[in-house]
Amino acid sequence: MSERILNPDLGFVKDVINAGGESLKKCYQCATCSVVCNVSPDDSPFPRKEMVQAQWGLKDELFRNPDIWLCHQCSDCTANCPRGAKPGEVLNAIRKMSIEEFSVSRFMARIVNQPVFLLLLFAVPVAILLAFVAGQGFLGGNIPLQDGKIEYGKFLFSLKYIDPLFSIVALLALASLGIGISKYWKAMYSGLPAGSTPKMGLGAAITDTIKDILAHNRFKKCEVTKARSTAHMLVFYSFIGLFITTILAFGKVILEPQTGYLAYLGHPVEISESLLTGLIIVYKIIGNISAVALIAGILLVMANRMNNAKKAGLGSYYDWLFISIVAGLGITGLLAELLRLANTPVAYPIYIVHLSFVFFLFAYAPFSKMAHMFYRGTAMVFGKMTGRI
Amino acid sequence: MAEQSILVIGGGISGLTVALEAAEAGHDVTIVEKNPYLGGRVAQLNKYFPKLCPPVCGLEINYRRVKENAKVAFHTMAKVESVAARDGSFDVTVSLAPRYINDRCVACDACAQACPSYRPDDFNFGMSKTKAAYLPFEQAYPMQYVIDAASCKEGCGQKCKEACKYGAVELGMKPETLKINTSAIVVATGWNPYDISKAQNLGMGRVKNVITNMMMERLAAPNGPTGGKILRPSDGKEPKKVAFVQCAGSRDENHLPYCSYICCMASLKQTTYLKEQYPEATSDIFYIDMRTPGRYEKFYWKVRDMEGVSFTKGKVARVENAPNDDVTVTLEDVMGGKRVQRTFDMVVLAAGMEAATRQTPLPLDINYTDEGMIIPSSLKPGIYAVGSAKSPVDVAKSVQDATGAALKSIQSSLLSAGGRK
Repeated sequence: MSERILNPDLGFVKDVINAGGESLKKCYQCATCSVVCNVSPDDSPFPRKEMVQAQWGLKDELFRNPDIWLCHQCSDCTANCPRGAKPGEVLNAIRKMSIEEFSVSRFMARIVNQPVFLLLLFAVPVAILLAFVAGQGFLGGNIPLQDGKIEYGKFLFSLKYIDPLFSIVALLALASLGIGISKYWKAMYSGLPAGSTPKMGLGAAITDTIKDILAHNRFKKCEVTKARSTAHMLVFYSFIGLFITTILAFGKVILEPQTGYLAYLGHPVEISESLLTGLIIVYKIIGNISAVALIAGILLVMANRMNNAKKAGLGSYYDWLFISIVAGLGITGLLAELLRLANTPVAYPIYIVHLSFVFFLFAYAPFSKMAHMFYRGTAMVFGKMTGRI
Repeated sequence: MAEQSILVIGGGISGLTVALEAAEAGHDVTIVEKNPYLGGRVAQLNKYFPKLCPPVCGLEINYRRVKENAKVAFHTMAKVESVAARDGSFDVTVSLAPRYINDRCVACDACAQACPSYRPDDFNFGMSKTKAAYLPFEQAYPMQYVIDAASCKEGCGQKCKEACKYGAVELGMKPETLKINTSAIVVATGWNPYDISKAQNLGMGRVKNVITNMMMERLAAPNGPTGGKILRPSDGKEPKKVAFVQCAGSRDENHLPYCSYICCMASLKQTTYLKEQYPEATSDIFYIDMRTPGRYEKFYWKVRDMEGVSFTKGKVARVENAPNDDVTVTLEDVMGGKRVQRTFDMVVLAAGMEAATRQTPLPLDINYTDEGMIIPSSLKPGIYAVGSAKSPVDVAKSVQDATGAALKSIQSSLLSAGGRK
């Protein structure tokens, strides 16, 4: 065994403890966790290794490690741990910190993950949206109806305000995520032993990863929290459904003969009425099913977390913020739709709240747990290329 | 006279030591023992530390001291039912279960030979059977048979009675109640092996050829189920590859949160049993930390240097059946950083010690830890606890502790005679 000098970063150890890894120091390295973990490889299995790295404050080793994201927090380790060291919770805290480490900007990441700033974070979209309302001259409540019905598009003039705002926010978030992910990739790459050759091409690794994610292949290997993969799947697929809905609705907004974007910009297109109606029916169906599935899924996620709390730990602010935002998004979304159909003026403030949730989810995605899908996906691709999984 | 007497609950190595030390200093002692014999867990061992002598050598001398000392009275198959404190002494009610064989028994075995019924032998942890009329083990003291009424049905008792030439079988024997007034009580209730089948991943009761360390003692003991030959239970094969799984239940907040103190030494000792019988056999010890307190470290070095003995840091967290009745264990070899599966002929779980008072608390005003061990500082004047009733200990420490407790109980009984303040 070669000799190495370790430089423990005690500040980092404290950070892990404060980030939700309170139990870190209880670990006595028995390695029960590495055995009961069904998603860990045989060679240098996790999470025992990560526990000792965290205890010694070996920040770089942890952050450039694909394993922290190859862990799906099944919590089999936590349930079987003889010391209550909760490796699942500790790795979750380290994941949160790695998002902070790689994301741009780190300042934003710190704000997003601290409860004191929650109201401030919400105040941003609320203020912007209220400014739009004021810009329309509706702040006094004098909102014109469309054929006697509430129509959100007219209320906030989505062509001019909402769509550009959310497009910009989404692009910024994607750019930030892209930078974060590439930093993580470089870090993982730097941790490879010299002369390593890929076991799989990038394209094949990406395809394989997408297949794994779509089928939740790894998630399904969890034992203690078996039910979680079903709940997660519901939320995951409803997000995909809502994404498709958004794209189709956006298409409609662009193409509509008189009121669409192209018409607004003076380049109207010819599109058959039936095609447009068909498009609307399709995305309404997908959207409504997805909304119901999202609410059901996220409620299941909450219930599972509560039920498993004793064995798996309740989770931290980082988890619950994300869960709450998703739940809030789904519930206010469905409410906004129902209230609009009921044609009651309460629909307007609910719609503002709903859009605030959407803003929250997108704008803060690179810093919140929303980023987990990108980091975990990247680690899985890397893991496949290096033969780790 | 009764005012200066001492009651000892439990007739194992600790209880016997307290009783003999106090009696040999001139005090009246009564031992109450739940088993039909004295000697407790030590009687079940093949060899015990520190000298690695068989229990015959250690217990037999104690049996003789009991036999020869008129100041020691003992009751087997006895249970303390209630204790009432009165004027510095205690009124203790003890119930005696019927043995169905009186003291005319000469241990000729005729009743057992005639007996048609069998019972699982708890002395051998169920690895063998005895007749319903049985002697607990060869060197049992008192050397007196017992009839297990629950297993002896439909005329079985009558057959035993007819076979006995000495009129020792007494089928009409009834439970009895004794009243004892005593000035000191010493709790020496000892320990039970932890029920390691509760740790399902370790395979006890689910995987063939997984045994506990106490079962290994019985397998190696000359008076055990295999006559002292270590054979694996499923097919009687000589095990040549044996794994010892340390901390089976111990140091685990889901089971026993404490270190059971003796298990590392037990596995090292049992490795020597294995190597003595099968010099070519291998022993693999899987541990979190090897704990060999005090001078025992030397024994560790000795076993470590034996050929075919290896130590791997990493707790076994999965045990499964393998083909040919073998057993596969999974662990992470922590030093090598690899998760490995290893297959063995037999796996010994180093199961921990659980205080007997966890399952059966005493009818005494005593405070226990969450794990059922007696908290010594909480004991009322005149009541003492010794050995593994308080914390996991080995025989040597139990004996030292018991000797100290003998002095304390003598002091207490003298104080009581003079009127306790």
